Amino acid sequence: MATSFITAHPFGDAYAARAGALPAVAWLESLRRFARAEIAGGLPGAQVEEWRFTPLTQLAKIGFIPAASADDVDVTAVPLDVPVVPGAVRVVLVNGVYRADLSDSLDGLDLRTLRDAVSSSKDMESAVGRVAPLSLPMVALNTAFMEDGLVIAVRGSVTRPVHIISIGAAGSSPVAFHPRVVITTEPGASLSIVETHIGLPGQPFLANPVTEVFVAEDAAVRRFVSVTEEGDAYHLATTVASVASRGTFEAFHMGLGGHKAEGTTRQEIHVVVNGEGTKVNVSGAYAIAGTMHHDFTTVINHRVGGSASRQVFKGVLDGRSHGVYQGRLRVAPDAQKTDARQVHKALFLAHGPAVDCKPELEIDADDVQCAHGAATGALDSDQLFYMAARGIDPETARALLVEGFLAEAIAEIGDESVRVVFAAQMAAWLQRRGGAS
Amino acid sequence: MALLKIKNLHANVAGKEILKGISLTINAGEMHAIMGPNGTGKSTLSNVIAGRDGYEVTSGEVLLDDNNLLAMSADERARAGVFLAFQYPVEIPGVSTSNFLKTALNAKRRAAGLPEIDAMEFLKLVKAKTKALGIPDDIIKRQLNVGFSGGEKKRAEVLQMTLLEPRIAILDETDSGLDIDALKVVADGVNNLRSADRGFLVITHYQRLLNYIVPDHVHVMSGGRIVASGGKELALTLEAEGYAKYQAA
Repeated sequence: MATSFITAHPFGDAYAARAGALPAVAWLESLRRFARAEIAGGLPGAQVEEWRFTPLTQLAKIGFIPAASADDVDVTAVPLDVPVVPGAVRVVLVNGVYRADLSDSLDGLDLRTLRDAVSSSKDMESAVGRVAPLSLPMVALNTAFMEDGLVIAVRGSVTRPVHIISIGAAGSSPVAFHPRVVITTEPGASLSIVETHIGLPGQPFLANPVTEVFVAEDAAVRRFVSVTEEGDAYHLATTVASVASRGTFEAFHMGLGGHKAEGTTRQEIHVVVNGEGTKVNVSGAYAIAGTMHHDFTTVINHRVGGSASRQVFKGVLDGRSHGVYQGRLRVAPDAQKTDARQVHKALFLAHGPAVDCKPELEIDADDVQCAHGAATGALDSDQLFYMAARGIDPETARALLVEGFLAEAIAEIGDESVRVVFAAQMAAWLQRRGGAS
Repeated sequence: MALLKIKNLHANVAGKEILKGISLTINAGEMHAIMGPNGTGKSTLSNVIAGRDGYEVTSGEVLLDDNNLLAMSADERARAGVFLAFQYPVEIPGVSTSNFLKTALNAKRRAAGLPEIDAMEFLKLVKAKTKALGIPDDIIKRQLNVGFSGGEKKRAEVLQMTLLEPRIAILDETDSGLDIDALKVVADGVNNLRSADRGFLVITHYQRLLNYIVPDHVHVMSGGRIVASGGKELALTLEAEGYAKYQAA
């Protein structure tokens, strides 16, 4: 496995010695050893098929230090442009580490920091790494060096959504952080989670969050993630969800990058369907400019039949940005009556952007419905003329059409208050773009 | 008073001359109809007046209230008072009819130095207009023209026209694809808009529409030129005799 990795990684012994604020409990030390072995050969480059469009060659050249060692990082408040999610519990991570002073109280909630959970409870051994496999390189990297994160164990229905605000901030040196979020549900439980990932200006940072979601029978997890980049950060996020019978997993991921953005975001989402009657929706939208690179990689694995999965992805690209969509759909030999759909559409606002779209359908059952669609193009001149013929100036017309284009994806957000927040962030991106061009 | 003056207008599409010297004056308060067989340049004329890309005016003038329309962009022309009702209204997924109408109305109001209309006022206005036109008002919640039937699309065009109150409205084959009931609704909407300070140019292949929207002047277009003009009775003659006489000429 490790031999296929052509890129050395900057997380050598010196990094390892300074990382690891978690207690050195035996199970964790053992897990970390396996993880380090997985990445001993380096991080994936362009020769690794899954990373062909997003090779980490440049990343490996940056000398990151563990975020916990960066003593000149000073974040004393949540930036004001972070949206407010109505009724949500705010949980703030700075460089992957929980900040009680910036967060709402967690008292009475089924929510602990990873540090607390690992120190105080034995059941973490079966929870961490239960769903996310070390064969995924970013999961291995995260496991080797994770320092903090959150553990959400949902027993009943959590009425207040949880809003995780993750702030990346490098001081005078580039920093890397590897937070782990573990979400488990009991049968019938439900949870809504909103995540806002932002970076403060400065040196580049690497955010390498891993989220594990275990959806029990009849349980429901709805997760809405937005990643906004203005600088040259790396945001390489992996989500792995396992869904049991009649469980619901709905995820919506948004990636935004302004005209000065030159970073790399990859949002990789794996869902394993382990029971019948499950509902899976993994959708997303991205609006990027500058030289930003945004990658959506999804793997939906129908191991058991009688379930539906749906993916709607839309991207708007300006400047010389680069979009990637890799959508792999697996239907196991016995997973009959599977209904799986995926679509990716990209809209170019300039001549400079590029998109790589790679749908992969591996279907080994015969009684299934699977559909995929892909389209890439510029704004439609007939639509622009129609708007002009009603007196709408070209800039406003373009903004309306782009909003309309994204609306199909935004409509996949099942929670109305979240939909409003995300739509507003998209609209703000479009307005900034208008001002920049 | 001359509202729209077209003087010796020549225009090319993809290097080929389609309009070969059109002259036409529409006075305020008048309803003009242009009839003619397919492929004679009727739609080219409407697109040239509205300012669509891909039409090259080689000579001639188009003036609205003595302002040179040809020097304006398509959206400027619309704000100056040109309204083109499309033969095939474009579907725009993801954009609600309501948002579109409000944006268009406010663009026009800003250009006229008027304050923007707020959401409540706008809703009230639209409700009044849809009611007067006999259009269900839930049409404004739907995505613009998406999944609309042929009749709904044309009625939506009339609704837009009613809200935007143009100086000159051009109806390009508005009757195509309409059954007789839808045609009546559309015609009623147009007739209600007729006023002493507004002009209309109705482009049609068939006489049928002109039973409901009665023109003051009828022109026959053939081979990129207006080859005959007359009163409303000319339309009836054309219906009876066809265009053969003009095409042969």
